[in-house]
Amino acid sequence: MTDTRADLEPYEVFQQAKDGDPMRHGGNVLAPDPELALHYAREMFGRRNESSRLWVVRRADINVLEDPDLLDPPLDRSFKKPGGYVMRDKLAAARERAGTAKPAARAEGHDRTGGQRDRDATA
Amino acid sequence: MTDVITPIGPAIGTALAELLLTMADDEFVSGFMDSEWTGIAPLLEEDIAVSSIAQDELGHARALYQLLAEVLDDGRDEDALAYDREPEEYRHSRLLDHARGDWADTIARRFMYELADEARLASIGTGYRPLADLVEKLRREERYHRMHVVAWIDRLANGGPDARRRLDTALTTQGVDAPTVFTPLAGEGDLVAAGILTRSMAAAESAWRADLTTILVPLGLGLPPSVDPSPAGRRNHSAAFRWLWSEFTSVRRSEGGATW
Repeated sequence: MTDTRADLEPYEVFQQAKDGDPMRHGGNVLAPDPELALHYAREMFGRRNESSRLWVVRRADINVLEDPDLLDPPLDRSFKKPGGYVMRDKLAAARERAGTAKPAARAEGHDRTGGQRDRDATA
Repeated sequence: MTDVITPIGPAIGTALAELLLTMADDEFVSGFMDSEWTGIAPLLEEDIAVSSIAQDELGHARALYQLLAEVLDDGRDEDALAYDREPEEYRHSRLLDHARGDWADTIARRFMYELADEARLASIGTGYRPLADLVEKLRREERYHRMHVVAWIDRLANGGPDARRRLDTALTTQGVDAPTVFTPLAGEGDLVAAGILTRSMAAAESAWRADLTTILVPLGLGLPPSVDPSPAGRRNHSAAFRWLWSEFTSVRRSEGGATW
């Protein structure tokens, strides 16, 4: 294979398995430009009916935050976490009083486009 | 493939078989020639893309050979039709007789063929329902093939002097054979009368030229020359095709009648 890697850039590919599912990181492709990146993403993540939507993003366009000072504070913040509270029995008792069943997964109002709608609205 | 077999008369049957054979052989030969890039394409991602498109074309050929087997009804299945013929019995167009060549040769050939195939698919009417149903599916896949090859024409035309020169040469060299995709069929009038075709091959060729013009002219590239259609446009195949034939039939011939 001819070595043309120098002309190529990595693109990160996110895929949505079916309408309503969250976008998940699938992997990446190397391509010389965004249009061919879409073609290659389609070949690798979309030709076996495994995706209903792909997002293909130039890796260099992703804003990265990985500073441990910001993401992993050194002081104890465990009081911010709900661990230690056992809610299950209280919830069950409350539901019984209210006469309601356990709610289904929060599907209503879910953005079926994986966030595309919000992006369009702010575009 | 279909539950309802549309009854067709013997004259139409012969003409329909000719149409199906030319379409199937075009897809089959172009698929096999493009698969010659597998493992050696310019970059890994493109290797996967071009190999996948080649597989698509072979899949289209298979579906068309299955229809042909139903129409011929002579005991041959799609594999027999695809592999058990002598090289001179294939009816693909001369455009697809060219060797794989370099990347520009392949892109130029795929470009002229994809757009020609599109014009041909757009000429299929509803006269033979199984074909009309199949063509509807084929056109959905061919949309992507067109996007892919047009993206490459654009990149080679604007990719520096070497790429442009190679593309220009490849279009000129193979362009003389490109109109053979529209070689008139012997039973063309019958097919149009039966609504199996909505227009003649000559009319499809005009549509193809208009389509080519919208892409090639803005890039400053020339159109394939207009030549009088020769009835031999799908005969007298090249040495490059004979070599390809020996490749794609080699496994089948190694053990006649084997079950895979």
